Amino acid sequence: MRLLLTVLLLTVFSSPVSADENFYEQQIKPLLATKCSACHGALKQESDLRLDAGQLIHAGGASGAVVDVEQPNESMLLSRVQTKDPDVRMPPEGEGEPLTPGQIELLTTWIRGGAKFPKSEQVPPDPRQHWAYQIPEKTELPQIENGFGEVHPIDSFLLSRLHERKLSAAPQSQPATLVRRVYLDLLGLPPTTQHQRKFLADPSPNAWKQLVDELLDDPAYGERWGRHWMDVWRYSDWDGYKNELRGSQRHIWRWRDWIIESVNEDKPYDRMVTEMLAADELAPTDDSTLRATGFLARNYHKSNRNIWLDATVEHTAKAFLGMTIDCARCHDHKYDPIAQSEYYAMRAVFEPHQVRTEQLPGEADLLKQGLVRAYDAKPDAPTYLYVAGNEKHPDKEHPVSPNLPEVIGLNFEPQPVELPPLAVYPSLRQFVEKEQLEAASAKVKAAEEALANVKETERNELPQQDLIAAKSELESLQARWLADRAKFSQSKDSTEQKKLARQASQAEKKAKLERARHTLLVKKQSLQEAESSEPADEKAKAALAKSRQEVEQATKEQEEAERLAANAEASDYTPVGTSYPATSTGRRSALAGWITDRRNPLAARVAVNHIWMRHFGEPLVANVFDFGLRSPKPEHADLLDWLAVEFMENDWSMKHLHRLILTSEAYCRTSSVSSELFAANIEQDPENQLLWRSNVQRLDAESIRDSVLHVAGTLDQTLGGPDIDFGDGEKVHRRSIYFRHAYEKQMQLLVTFDAAAPNECYRRSPSIIPQQALALSNSSLVVEQSRRLAARLSTAASDSEEFIRLAFESILCRDCTADELSACHEFLASQSQRLSQPGRLTPVASSGSIGLPAAADSAQRARENLVHVLFNHNDFVTVR
Amino acid sequence: MSSVSPQNDYSYDGVTRRKFLNDLGLGFGSIALSSMLMQDGFAETQLQQIAPRAKSVIWLFMIGGASHLETFDPKPAINQYAGKSIEETPHAGVLKSSFLENERVVAFDPNNGFIRNKLFPMQIGFAPRGESGLEISDWLPHVASRADDLCLIRSMWTEDSNHGAQLQFHTGRHRVEGFFPTIGSWVNYGLGSINENLPQFVVMGTPVADCCGGKECHRANYLGPKYDGIPLNIDPASPLPYAKPPKGTFQEEQDGQFELLRKLNGLTVDKFPDDEALVARIRSYELAYRMQTAVPEVVQFADETQETIDLYGIELKETKTFGQQLLAARRLVERGVRFVQIYHGSNGGAGQWDSHKGLKANHSKLCKQIDQPLGALLQDLKRRGLLDETLVVWATEFGRTPGSQSTDGRDHHPYGFTIAMAGGGIKGGVAHGATDELGFHAVENRHYVTDVHATVLNQLGLDPRAMQVPGRKRLEKDFGHVIREVIS
Repeated sequence: MRLLLTVLLLTVFSSPVSADENFYEQQIKPLLATKCSACHGALKQESDLRLDAGQLIHAGGASGAVVDVEQPNESMLLSRVQTKDPDVRMPPEGEGEPLTPGQIELLTTWIRGGAKFPKSEQVPPDPRQHWAYQIPEKTELPQIENGFGEVHPIDSFLLSRLHERKLSAAPQSQPATLVRRVYLDLLGLPPTTQHQRKFLADPSPNAWKQLVDELLDDPAYGERWGRHWMDVWRYSDWDGYKNELRGSQRHIWRWRDWIIESVNEDKPYDRMVTEMLAADELAPTDDSTLRATGFLARNYHKSNRNIWLDATVEHTAKAFLGMTIDCARCHDHKYDPIAQSEYYAMRAVFEPHQVRTEQLPGEADLLKQGLVRAYDAKPDAPTYLYVAGNEKHPDKEHPVSPNLPEVIGLNFEPQPVELPPLAVYPSLRQFVEKEQLEAASAKVKAAEEALANVKETERNELPQQDLIAAKSELESLQARWLADRAKFSQSKDSTEQKKLARQASQAEKKAKLERARHTLLVKKQSLQEAESSEPADEKAKAALAKSRQEVEQATKEQEEAERLAANAEASDYTPVGTSYPATSTGRRSALAGWITDRRNPLAARVAVNHIWMRHFGEPLVANVFDFGLRSPKPEHADLLDWLAVEFMENDWSMKHLHRLILTSEAYCRTSSVSSELFAANIEQDPENQLLWRSNVQRLDAESIRDSVLHVAGTLDQTLGGPDIDFGDGEKVHRRSIYFRHAYEKQMQLLVTFDAAAPNECYRRSPSIIPQQALALSNSSLVVEQSRRLAARLSTAASDSEEFIRLAFESILCRDCTADELSACHEFLASQSQRLSQPGRLTPVASSGSIGLPAAADSAQRARENLVHVLFNHNDFVTVR
Repeated sequence: MSSVSPQNDYSYDGVTRRKFLNDLGLGFGSIALSSMLMQDGFAETQLQQIAPRAKSVIWLFMIGGASHLETFDPKPAINQYAGKSIEETPHAGVLKSSFLENERVVAFDPNNGFIRNKLFPMQIGFAPRGESGLEISDWLPHVASRADDLCLIRSMWTEDSNHGAQLQFHTGRHRVEGFFPTIGSWVNYGLGSINENLPQFVVMGTPVADCCGGKECHRANYLGPKYDGIPLNIDPASPLPYAKPPKGTFQEEQDGQFELLRKLNGLTVDKFPDDEALVARIRSYELAYRMQTAVPEVVQFADETQETIDLYGIELKETKTFGQQLLAARRLVERGVRFVQIYHGSNGGAGQWDSHKGLKANHSKLCKQIDQPLGALLQDLKRRGLLDETLVVWATEFGRTPGSQSTDGRDHHPYGFTIAMAGGGIKGGVAHGATDELGFHAVENRHYVTDVHATVLNQLGLDPRAMQVPGRKRLEKDFGHVIREVIS
């Protein structure tokens, strides 16, 4: 009724409707796009109706015309959005909120005005034609020389764009700026003064390229770039309350080490992807390679398998394909050509897999040590589509087969993989038997010693029986090993196998009997002791009763053990380890092959974009995890494609890409420019999309902490190893990458500087907040390192000026200006004066402790203060 | 001494900020840096679109699930039918309600999260209070004395029947859906600061444990750490992370350092006149420096009268902690802090309010811890004229079952529970919405948790629908609906 009234009022009182083409562009098109186009657009075209272009709206759909300009009120478009009937109303329940009266009014106005639209309007193309779904190709390089006099592919593309727009590029940065930029970029650490001086003193034209090569060979490169990929691949150490594991896995740091090592050895990216998804099928007995499957193990979620698999599907697609397939979990994708069933088909690829921890030499306790790895545990596990994404409503009538999104146009053909015995029965590895037997022998030895130590006056039946039990346990273990080895041996002699199984069964039962006898003796002895005196109180009475019960129980157990041991024909025994399925589905290998197929349009583009972003501060495709239809064709699509193909043609070598990027003129531009150039460019390209200058970047969290330690000369550069307690970040001087980083387990200092959220971080967003200022001003780490560095520089510097210059060179990697020098001089004098009269000063009330006290000498303490100020200088946390 | 070229590439022809800005037609130079800093602002998002009724929020969250049946929602029927099964009462229909389908769990818990069938009588009496006659439990006498300022929402519901509901109460999303910005971070995002010497979103009390959302209950997730809640301790020597330098530092020493830093960064502005991040960083240091003084001052109660200290029960054992936190909260909102979130009852797990057994002993003790301080806060805000502009919210993740568990406790109950609000343009002496006769389902004016968020935002002058950022789609249920009936 109110609606009708609105329409009536509008008709009677409103001025003549000016619903022209602009009205359509500004009001109607956006409205239809948000309310209707998901189902009535290029993607789905339900009822053959499209509402994403004027001419298509007029064309109508399967039910005929939807707009009637002669009799506007008769238009189906209006009636369907206004009806109260929930079965007829558009958008349907669950697909969107009903239109508001205001929105209906807009539609009415437009139709009344003749439903006009611009003749020039383009009909949106088939989403399958989206740029990112086309196989990338190298277009011809524009032959433009860069400032080095070379035709460099990256510069050619970028310069041609700048020339088109008649913009000039910024000049080359000074060597001092460049050397700091590239060190921080590749190693996450600034150059030492020696490194700076070496490079600046090298006049050779090849000095830059040599430096790049040198840095790419430095193991610190793997730590720096490994951390980047850990962001993308969602690295997380285990999380959980106290000792209970709830998410990710213990010992997953081995995957972190695999990442660092792989990056350092320039393992081809396609190989890395493949190993992470399917090392258990491709290298089933290679512990080193199996570490890679931490990528899958990381998604482990104790309480709910759906959360686990959802994360696996979502992030495999986002990380390797820039595809938001997770949007198709509850309904078909609203923007991209991905059906809901395709989401579940991809889930089916992962459905059989599970995570297990393999024993490693030297430690049988898997809580302390082990190799976390993926494997297919249930090859036949079915996958069901959840209706509307609700796990309470699985569609059990139609199990979903494994498959991958059709829009990519590649076949998915998994082949089952037969696994070798060592993968099926990992205990067969030599060290396992050796260590188990050693442990059993040690028990025998201990029992022998205990027996030998019994004094002659004492009873010795207990230690005697313990020794008998320990010996029979050792024999049982040996027999079970023989039987198990025979079971998995190549030559399957079944008679021999049966014989060994019987022997193992006998030996095991005998061992159990002897141990039961021992236990009974122990219990009887305790009972004797308890009965020797009158129970003093209720507690003692209860203990006595309990002791009697235990004797009874042990007696029963011994009788049962005797009964079992009497059966000479039995051949059942406990295997020495766990066995796993002998066949893997091959689905994940096939997935890896599908992703890294040279015809897959997304994989290389997505990887190149990630690498590019981390060098330049901005990506080529703005949304690094969504290359779908919401990502318009990027400004530098030709460059992206050229690099993607180049990447694949060069065996997916990351170092090749780094070299290419770092030797471009674009990488070497200044970030700050003359006011003339600034004025000329800023209006045309305020976001620096054309890369006419370098972007100023803030160091990421890890680089800030690591650089403080490195500059102070106290960074422990040991590579790899177990995760370190995140609470020790200010005391332990290892690189930040090695500290535990998980849900609720994060180092405060790193979090303050925008460390990766362990759950998802495809791109960090650096902030500038006062807590960062407080952290650098007050953290014990920075204060202590300032003191250490000041002491070191004081030994090297003969006077204040040299100290100041050295401090600038060490911390900011540049010399100071005259103004800075005089400000620092003044500071040293006044601060030292101030500190020389501590009695007049006000101590700050604080509970923060520090290992290294300030220098007693006030002049030295002032120097410590100066160093500390430079660590707080904007340009310490900034790359120019 | 050094072979590094003394030539600085970052200074073009001796370009200074003055020249640079002059060239661009802007006539001020580095000397004016400080005043420019004052004017630039911190580029906060200003999304206030409606006339605000409140400036600040004090958000009190009871961890573990406080029983609505022993605090704010009396149900004579459960006394009448005590010991009977729900089927034996005329209200058996509650067990067939479609509302039961709203329940979602992360994982089946064999011990908790069941509908307990045998009705368990209220463990404490209720009485009408104040002129409004609002019925409030005898365990909350101080709160009850402020009945005419209170607005009870007795028709809350949520989805999670386990303690992930703690996270859900703050983000509006079920635990299985992951982490999202919390209500406090949206307020911080939407409003920015009145007082730049203090963080705008402050958190006190031990946070929710990792089982149930952990620190994500006061973080900003995709809005960025800038909008996270900042933990504050009632300890002037260490009120927040890195608030104080290590022991042995002198105030004058830091002042001197700060002066030099300001000078050096200022010289850098001359060289990089178009570097906005640099200006922002200088500002962040100015703010941090002021925070160092302002923050400890908030948790120092030296300038409070003994009467106030006693009002909050700060010298009594049971009420000391919560009393200190609430007094600090008043001092924070007095100084313009936007959102103060206080947790009560953290125990490293589900939370102390989680009374599966021994509810009487448990709730009487916990109510005693919060009652006097909360009554005091309302009274204190009112007498200072602050209640009008401060919205106080008392909340918990869910209520507790009308039926008994372990003979003398109650289980988790997401289908109907109560939260309370006061001040900030909310009607006093009002009970809005209702559960059924058994206190089982919210049946009248049902409200999902984000309706509380929407109401909070609305009172602060923010349109809940405006709370979104590009690239992050928010669902319909995330926005919630303003509870207009309770606005005065």
